[in-house]
Order: sequence, then C-alpha cells, then structure tokens
Amino acid sequence: MNDMKIKKFFKTLKIAFALLFLIGCENPKLKQPRENPSAQEEENLHTSNKIDRNFARELAREFGKEFAKEFARQINPSNFSLHADELPVDTNESNLITGLIDAEGEPHPLIKHCSEDVLEFYEKNADGFSILSPQQIPVNLNWQDGSNEKEFSSPDAERGGTFHAYMRDFPRTLRTIGPDANGAFRSYLLDNNAVSLTHAHPNSDGYYPGLASAWAVGGDGRTVYFRLDPNARFSDGNLVKASDYFFFFYFMRSKHIQAPWYNDFYGKDKFQKVTLYDEQTLSITFFKAKPDVVERVSIRPTPEHFYSELGGEYLTKYQWNPEPTTGAYMASPENVDKGKSVTLVRQDDWWANDKPFFRNRFNPDEIKVSVIRDNDKAFEVFLKGEIDAFGLAKTDFWYEKLGNDHPLVRNGYISKVTFFNQAPPPSYALRINSQKPPLDNLDVRIGFHHAMNFDLVLERIFRGDFVRMNTVADGFGERSNPDLKAREFSVDKAVTSFEKAGYSTRGKDGILINKKGERLSIEIMTGYKRFEDVLIVLKEEAKKAGLEIKLKVLEQTAAWKMANEKNHQVVFSAFGTFVELFPRFWEPFHSDNSYHEKGDLKYLKNGTLKSGLTTKTSTNNFTQTAVRELDHLINLYREEEDFAKITAIAHRLSQMIHDHAVWVPAWKKPWLRAGYWSWLQFPDDWGPKESTDYEEFQVFWIDSQQKKKIFEAMKEGKPISDQSSVREYKKYKK
Amino acid sequence: MIKLNPLTQKKLGRFRSIKRGFWSFVVLVLLYSFSIAGELFVNKRALIVSYEGNLYFPTYGDQISGKQFGLEYDYEANYRTLQKKFHQEDLGNWVIMPIVPFDPYEMDYEKDESTGFSPPSWKTGHFCGTDKTERDVFARLLYGFRIAMTFSLGYLLLTYLIAICAGSVMGYFGGKIDMLGLRLVEIWANVPFLYMVIILVSVMPGWWGVGWQVSSLLFIMVLFSWTGMTYYIRAAVYKEKARDYVSAAKVIGAGSSRIIFRHLLPNVISTLVTFAPFTIAAAISSITALDFLGYGLPPPTPSWGELLKQAVGNLKTAPWIVISTVTALVLTLTLVTFVGEAVREAFDPKKFSTYE
Repeated sequence: MNDMKIKKFFKTLKIAFALLFLIGCENPKLKQPRENPSAQEEENLHTSNKIDRNFARELAREFGKEFAKEFARQINPSNFSLHADELPVDTNESNLITGLIDAEGEPHPLIKHCSEDVLEFYEKNADGFSILSPQQIPVNLNWQDGSNEKEFSSPDAERGGTFHAYMRDFPRTLRTIGPDANGAFRSYLLDNNAVSLTHAHPNSDGYYPGLASAWAVGGDGRTVYFRLDPNARFSDGNLVKASDYFFFFYFMRSKHIQAPWYNDFYGKDKFQKVTLYDEQTLSITFFKAKPDVVERVSIRPTPEHFYSELGGEYLTKYQWNPEPTTGAYMASPENVDKGKSVTLVRQDDWWANDKPFFRNRFNPDEIKVSVIRDNDKAFEVFLKGEIDAFGLAKTDFWYEKLGNDHPLVRNGYISKVTFFNQAPPPSYALRINSQKPPLDNLDVRIGFHHAMNFDLVLERIFRGDFVRMNTVADGFGERSNPDLKAREFSVDKAVTSFEKAGYSTRGKDGILINKKGERLSIEIMTGYKRFEDVLIVLKEEAKKAGLEIKLKVLEQTAAWKMANEKNHQVVFSAFGTFVELFPRFWEPFHSDNSYHEKGDLKYLKNGTLKSGLTTKTSTNNFTQTAVRELDHLINLYREEEDFAKITAIAHRLSQMIHDHAVWVPAWKKPWLRAGYWSWLQFPDDWGPKESTDYEEFQVFWIDSQQKKKIFEAMKEGKPISDQSSVREYKKYKK
Repeated sequence: MIKLNPLTQKKLGRFRSIKRGFWSFVVLVLLYSFSIAGELFVNKRALIVSYEGNLYFPTYGDQISGKQFGLEYDYEANYRTLQKKFHQEDLGNWVIMPIVPFDPYEMDYEKDESTGFSPPSWKTGHFCGTDKTERDVFARLLYGFRIAMTFSLGYLLLTYLIAICAGSVMGYFGGKIDMLGLRLVEIWANVPFLYMVIILVSVMPGWWGVGWQVSSLLFIMVLFSWTGMTYYIRAAVYKEKARDYVSAAKVIGAGSSRIIFRHLLPNVISTLVTFAPFTIAAAISSITALDFLGYGLPPPTPSWGELLKQAVGNLKTAPWIVISTVTALVLTLTLVTFVGEAVREAFDPKKFSTYE
C-alpha cells in the first residue's frame, strides 16, 4: 500500500521536475562556472551530464540529498552518479588528481564525502581551499617534529582517581563556539583539553607536536606544512582527516554558529589558503610571515563526520551535544547534572596516551566540576576536602584564611605553593579616556599618573607580594621595553603637572581649582567589586595631590558596557592576556578603534585631531588614543615580519604610549599561588614556566595511597609528614 | 502648625509614662545628636591647635594646609603626627585631638605592620578595630549611623507626605477619584522595588556629588514605597469625614484643603504616628541591605551595610567588625522597636474610644 503511494508520488514529481528541467536548461543561473580552465575543451562533451548534475544539486538543496539521489536514479539510471563513492576510485590515480572538482564535476577523493552545502562553500571560495597532489609538496622543507624539546610531565605520574573542581556558574551550553559558549567552563573542553596541530612549548619558544607529527614553514614564511599523526583520533573513534581542516573554516565562517568574532578571526583575510595534499598532509597559508606563524595557524580540526553541514538548528541541536574531541577528556550529556555539575571522563584508550608531550598528563580518570556560586563558600568546601585545589592569589586567603599556621596546613594535609611563573600578566591598569575633559590635557593625565599611590596599595593591600607593572606590554620577554618605569607616586610632581594645566590653587576642601573655578575631579569607574579597597586607597591618597576621585563601582556587565560606549573618564579594568610571542597594540591604541573616520582622515595637517569626529564604540581602545605617529608605527608593526624589528618597534610603541600618558599600569603577580590537598602530586618543577593556573597543563596526578594516609592521619589528628607543606618554586623567578 | 487636639496630647502623656519606650526614645535622640556632632568626638581633625601663639579650630570649616603649621607638605595637615611633633619639639605648641582621632575615610597606615584588619586596642585608639583598608570601625559605625538615621527620617517624612496627600484625597473625595486612585496605587505598588533601585542606581551619573547620590537614592526609595501608607490614611479619612465636625466645617463653608489639612489631619495623625517608628526601622534595614548588596550609597561613604559585607567575608579574620556592627544594628533597631511599641500602646484607640 505504502509502496504504491510512493510510486505515485514519484510519478507526479517526475512530471513536475521534467518540466522544471526543461525550463532549467534555459536558465543560465543553474549553470555553474567551471573551476578548472584546463578542462574547458572537455566541457562540451559533458554538457548534458553536467546540467543534469547541477540540476540535481539544486534539488538536493531543496529537497534533501536522499530524495535527490533517488530521483536522479529514476530519471537517468544509466549515466548518472551524484557521488564519487559510487564509482570505483583508483587510489594510484587519485594521488595525481588536483583541484576541488575534476573535469567531470566530481569532487576530489579527499572531499568526496562532503555534503553539497560544504562542497559548494569550498567551490565558491576556491581561492581559499585547494587540493594539490603530494608531488607538489616543496621538497626542500625543513621539517620539525619537536624532538629537540623536553617533556614537562613527570614519569612518576599515575593514572586514576577523580579530580574535583568547581565553577562559579553552570555552563549554558556544551558547545565551544557560538552564543554563551565563551564561559569559564569552556577551558575544560577546549583550552586544557583539545589537541591542536602543534602547541607552543610552555618552557621554551619552540613547539611540540600535537595532531601534526611534523611541520615545516614554507619558503614564503607564511605557509606552514603539517603532516598529520596517523593515529590521531576523535573520541568517537573516527580518524582525524585532512579535510577536517577544510571543514574547520567552513564551520568558523558560517553564519549559523552566530559567532561574529570567530567569523572575523578565521576570515579569509587572515587565513588565506588551506591546501590538502593527501590524507596526511596539508598546508595553511597565513596573511603575513609573522615569526610565530606556526602557532597562529595551529588550529583544531572540526569533526566533519559529526556535523556534516551546518544549518539554522546549529545552536539548539548541539547545545548539550558536545562534539567529539581529540583531547583526553570527554563530556557527554549523560554526565551532565543540570545546574549542579559536569563530569568529564578520561578516554581509556586515548590515542595520545603514550605520545611524547602528552603521556603522563591528563591523569585523573574523571574531572568533576561542580557549581559553587560563592567564592567564600567554595573555600569552605575546599577545606572540607570536597574540592581538591583552590587558587590562593588573594592576599587574605593566603595569609589569613589559610595561613601557614592553619591546622590543615600545619599538619601537611593541604599544601600551599608559590610558583614563580613567566607569562604575560592580565593588564590591570587605569585606562584614561583621553577624549573626556579635563583628561584631554596631557598635563592633567601626567599629574593623574603621579597622584595614584600604587606603591601604598602594593605595600599594604597586597603586602609586597605583587609588583608594579611598568609598561603596556609587560611579560612578553624581549618584546617588553626593559627601560620603561611606571610613573611613581609623587605629590610634588603631580601638583606641578596640574599647575601647568591651570589647576593652581587649592579650594576650601584642599582640591585644586583652576581660574574658571572648576574643581579637579575625576571619576574612576570599575566593574571589580573585589578591588574596591584598592580604589579607596587611591582616592584617599590622591587628595594629597589636590585631586578628587569619585568612585563608581558597577556590576561587571554594566561597567563593561559603559567603557565600551566610551562614557567613562577613567576605567579600572584588565584584559586577559594569553601567552603570545608579541603584544598587541592595534586593538587598544590605534585611532581606528577610537573614531569612525578612517586612518589619517582624523587629523589636521599639523597632526592634531579634527573636531567633530564620531566616537567608535565597542572597541578595546578604552583610552580613546588617537595619535598620528602612533597610528603609523602600529601599522608598521602589524606589517613587519622581521623579529628584531618587531621587538624594536614594540619598545618604541611602549615608550610612546607611556609619553602619551593614558594608561596607568597597576600591578602584576610574578607567581601563581595555589592550595591543594596533599594527595595531589605535581612534577619536580611543579609546572611549566608559562603556567598561570594549576589545571592548565594537566600535569598533576592523584596519589591514592597518599589520600588514604591523609584520611587516616586526619582521624588521629597527626601530621602527615615532618616536612612543611608550604613550598616555593623559584626556578623561573626573574 | 497643626494644633494638637487634647486627645493627642493625652496620648503623648501616656507615651511618656511608658518607661521603656520613653527612655529608648531619649537614648535614640541622644545618640542621633551625638552623631550629628560627631566631628567633635570622632575626627582626624584636631579640636584646637595652638601654633606660635595662634589658636586654630580646624574641626569645621576649610582644610588647613600642612605648611600653615610648619610642615613640608601643602595638603591637609595630619594632626595626629602634628601632635606628636609638637610634643617632641616642646616649643609651647599643642594640639587637642577628639576622643577618637580618626575619620571614617582615613586609612591609618602609619604603622609598618598595619595591612588591614587591626584588632581593637586602646593603645592605637581604634576601639572597635579597623577594616580592610585600616579605617576605624567605630568612626565608620558612628557616621554610618548618622547617615542611616538622617536617611530614615527623610524617608519617613517624604513617604508620609506623599501618602497623606494621596490617601486623604482618595478618602475625602471618594467615588471615582477613590476608585481610580486606588487602582493606580495598586499598580504602582506592584513595580518590583529592588529591581527598580538597582537599575536606577546604576544609571545615576557619576559626576553627581555624594550628597546628590544619597538624596537621589532616597527619592528612588520613596518613589516606590509610599504606597503602603496610603491605604491606612484613606481608611482613616473615610472614617473621620463622616463625623459631625467635618459636616460642620462644610456648612461654615470651609474648602476641601482646609478641611483635610486643618480638621481631618490632626485626627488622622495618630494612625501615622504608630507606624512611624516601624517605618524608621524598615528604612534602616533596607538601606543597610541595599548597601550590603552594593546598590546603596556610593563607596567609600561609611555605611553599615558595607561594614556587614566586609564582616561576612572575614568572619574569622576580623570578628570585631561583625561584633560591633551587629551590636550597633541590633541596639538601634531594638530601641526603635521599643519606641514603636510604646507609641502603639499609647495611641491605641481602644483606650480612649468614646464608642465603647
């Protein structure tokens, strides 16, 4: 009965489509432009076949692939084949095939599995996706495999146990891309877990192999060749394919992921070309021959077999359905306790179990991340042993709440560790909006710098544990300007500077006023409630220099919005920095991020700003810096490819921004401090140089014997060992 | 001035005879007056400075530069160190400091070991210890009390003013005005108070001074909480307007506003008075709660909510903050409640009802 109906249905459709087909033949829109000019001659021979196929493709888009296949078989059973997998492929010959689509319109064997939509995307952007034959890989490449680098895990590490961690908020999705995906939980799925082509070595400037077993930078300095590890597998058992790197860009540039930042970041202007050579080899061409090009193009594959293609349902379909990962830990919907916890499970047969640089890492069998919304409460839970580790960067936690004489520490149950690291610090600073009066005056800004008593803050609130940040780009090694020092607190210098700006007399309340009778009053806005005490100290001390500070402490999002709209006078904020080879200047200091008018159009001939410019909102230029010379140098810096010159320009830029006085550097921590139950074991050096967090490189392990011992010792109230559990690791102290 | 009728006077007399409530009232008034004159008792500025034969009274008035007293700096003189200096020099100059020589904003970082949360001590002069940035907790409590009390009195005055006007209009005119008015009040009362405060506080322009910010917070709070009282006023006016004296006034030809404010109000006021102390208590609690949540007074204004917040975060490290703040809060609220109970008892209509 059903069969009859289907047949009838097909018959009707046949007629309808036959009509469409006739019209379609006359419709030039349906004809696709040929990709390969060398195949032009053959075109005539295959015209009819080609039209058939194009027509069917249109159908496929409209009615779904399966249906179109069936239809095609019915209307032209003899010479039609939509998919190359229906044809026997000669592997020897396929090695010689180049181009996405061959003369007959067949996709290259490497991408034959792709869906219509994906193929069409590649074809449309054929200048960004190409397939060449393995013979076309340059022969004189200097292949690297990271064998000169040292591993940073400990051979003593043992697998097993559950690591208990906490998060402040339940993740709103298990997607790693798209709205709400940028939460704190994502690092468990991505940053601390997933494997990229190569990874920057956390102890040196080199790289260690990830999914790529070897890599080489091409002669142009901006193309990097990668040879994939043949063992590399996703957590669902599928091998990582070269074409997954094609798909990565299809994915990242898709509008369906609703992630404009990614759309832009992985845009064609930066990632100019991906070339596949065979199942194992690919190359990625970056827009500039930057010194750190290997790192820049070391992307993660997107599992094409999992997504196949993207549609409008992306967000909802994958909200709680995480993609297969190349990393050790796997999230799955059944391990999600909504609103309470997410448990990540270690793959027992993870492909990189014995791979150098990955072995002896990712040791716990499970990582259970529970929601604890309050930091103080999380600390209490940690003291009960229900969380394994807790960051102790805050002075009151380190000294008072978990002081060295705390019974848990004294008995050695909990270890307290200070690890001196080397990584770019979060950029805590007062960012002065140089557009808002009276801060449009350089002398007021310099006076403001000298009126900020960060010395007292560092000495008293942070008890001398933090150090002053000196430049806009601290922590970038050679690239940081070594000669610059932040302006010190000095009432005299501040007053002199304010006087130059016209604020010469003190009013009744000791605040400076100018001839017009305007008081020197400036508002500092922030979203950091936890640093209110710092700002209070700055406020009280600034009075000495005759400067009135008004404080506005807002909710994070409200503060962020206000700063983004450039409505602040001074904002106290920090941007997270990640380990990069050289600092960024364009985002926070280029005038194109201050005003809508492009480039030099903002300036008069003498270099001063024109009046009536339109402020550009939602950029990271919170200082509204617009200096022509600075712009030119930043442009140069972005263009420059030579490492030595980049360093020199970075130094010069830091100096110029210092002179422009829009950025009062606050502090940086030269270490990371953590407390953890002593059953957690770390390598002898504790961690790699660039560690900013105890979980980052997953080098720790859980010592089950020790855990038992500690529980027994706790029952009896005895110390676990005679050695102090308060330790300092100074190997990387500068 | 409203002339109190003999009945009300009698009620006040009765209030005086309720010892607990009356003395609570006296203590409260004394405390408030003490806090109003707080600068004379708790201040970083000296009461009197005698320097080279001249007398200075820095407590109120302009800031005096350090140079004036032979110091090197131009900013405000630090009178505590000045006192020590004069003492050491022994040149006949002297300084008289208040009992507690700290103000609520000043951070006492003079000693090397002070890094926040110094425990109470007679020696340092911090009777209630210090908070995270070494500010004197006692000073902050006292000035916090002053602000909270002033705030509550302002709140009381404004809410009652609006409530009286709206309530008596609805009650006196009745009919459609009453019906419409009541619906409006009901709708207005359903606007979520806390959310509105949070939203409005966050959009307050920063260049406003602290005074402006505090008063605008007051206005916002009043704006969303006057509705509760209108019901009582309306009911009381409804009841009173049926009385003969109102008809008599009407017959004589008195206008509506005259009847409402000269004749009705003195008779209705007793309803209000019984509520007043509880409104004050509620206002103190809500300003403290708002501060605790971070939506109240702008930092670094001394406030009990802010102290409580610090206290809760540092229960073990600085127990003196929680002890002194909670003691102060409980004491104040208890006193207010005692006053409230006494007022309620004194003004209880059953005692004096002529209909019994």
